[in-house]
Amino acid sequence: MFLKVQLPWNVIISVEDLDAKGLMLQRSIVIRLLDDFACKKATKDLGYFLAVTTLDSVGEGKVRQHSGDVLFPVVFSGITFKLFRGEILDGVVHDVFKHGVLLRCGPVKKIFLSNLKMADYKYVPGENPVFLNDKLSKIGKDVTVRCMVIETRWLEAEREFQALVSLEGDFLGPVSQQVRHITGMSPRRCSLCK
Amino acid sequence: MAEKGGKGSSVPSKAVKSSLKSATSNGASAKGKDDGSGKPKKGRKVQFDSEGLGDGIFGFSSGGKADSLLNKLNLGKGGKGDKTGKAAKSSAPKEPLPLELRVEQELPKHAKCLMDCEATEILQGIQEQMVILSEDPTIKIPVSFDRGLQYAKNGIHYADPASVRRALEPLTQYGVTEGEICVIGNVCPETPDEVFALVPSLKAKKSKLAEPLKDVLAELVKLKKAT
Repeated sequence: MFLKVQLPWNVIISVEDLDAKGLMLQRSIVIRLLDDFACKKATKDLGYFLAVTTLDSVGEGKVRQHSGDVLFPVVFSGITFKLFRGEILDGVVHDVFKHGVLLRCGPVKKIFLSNLKMADYKYVPGENPVFLNDKLSKIGKDVTVRCMVIETRWLEAEREFQALVSLEGDFLGPVSQQVRHITGMSPRRCSLCK
Repeated sequence: MAEKGGKGSSVPSKAVKSSLKSATSNGASAKGKDDGSGKPKKGRKVQFDSEGLGDGIFGFSSGGKADSLLNKLNLGKGGKGDKTGKAAKSSAPKEPLPLELRVEQELPKHAKCLMDCEATEILQGIQEQMVILSEDPTIKIPVSFDRGLQYAKNGIHYADPASVRRALEPLTQYGVTEGEICVIGNVCPETPDEVFALVPSLKAKKSKLAEPLKDVLAELVKLKKAT
């Protein structure tokens, strides 16, 4: 789910970037903020950092004694992405294993759908392994699957999330890849299919 | 792993501080077969380390509700999961909490949910500025931006997010939360049954929501993007 967040942040401007002209200082603050934001990648509370939208306020600068740099407390708004337990997502399969598939959803690369959580589907080995059910609905590489998030996990070292998902429940399962390819939309959503 | 309870935690309250201390103390048994004792093994790190998955892509620490779920999923080597799964299920101490959306309980302060269509509108606006921004090598764009925008665009059903928000707004008077409204806006449901199936937290309000939901969904159908 996408989040709009408002965050306080400390932007440190080095001496060489300080300029008597106010506009250049503000530019330095924005650039430093964008840089820090991009480097952060993600946090456990807010998810993956996608974009800064506005710089809402800039506080008074404080000189850091040992370096001479100036710290500006700012408040900004931005967009992040985070998965929540119970959420419905559309993930794209990128790896198929005997015990399940790995999906990707936005910036989250490791979403696991266990074979135990798609009980109708059976593993079909081969050069391009897939999971198939008795109605010949296929879950394989590049297939988009609508699923529900069971659990999420934050990995501090990698600064990334992982998730477990399930197909247990109505209205969950693969979205037609063929129709998606043609129209860019799933058949449920595509007006041509109605 | 997440701290006990509290805001911002995606893991239920019984997950596991102690697992951090004893994560590898019993590594062999963690990777090996579940003994099916059914006792919650606090602190045991369970890995998706079966043949098909290669070198342990996942490691969800077990404990509490996650433990019974992970036992059911029968992680670890070998294919004798069925027996151990059943054993674990029959002796699981209690039923796990229902799988329901509780975004508001997990959202930090000053954070608000957005529907995919709303996020697309904002991110596309930034992307349009990207040509100018990319000319300045000092400006960095977050690595997740492209993936986030692509996901938002793929899921988009509506051309006008503001109209969608207005159409869904009446549901708030029936106690539907912002998070639930965003999920409804994202999944583009066709019937009330689909809404209750995909957002089970609304089932408790089914009797009073069913009729207003029909009206809202009818409104959303009109707002769907034409191809």
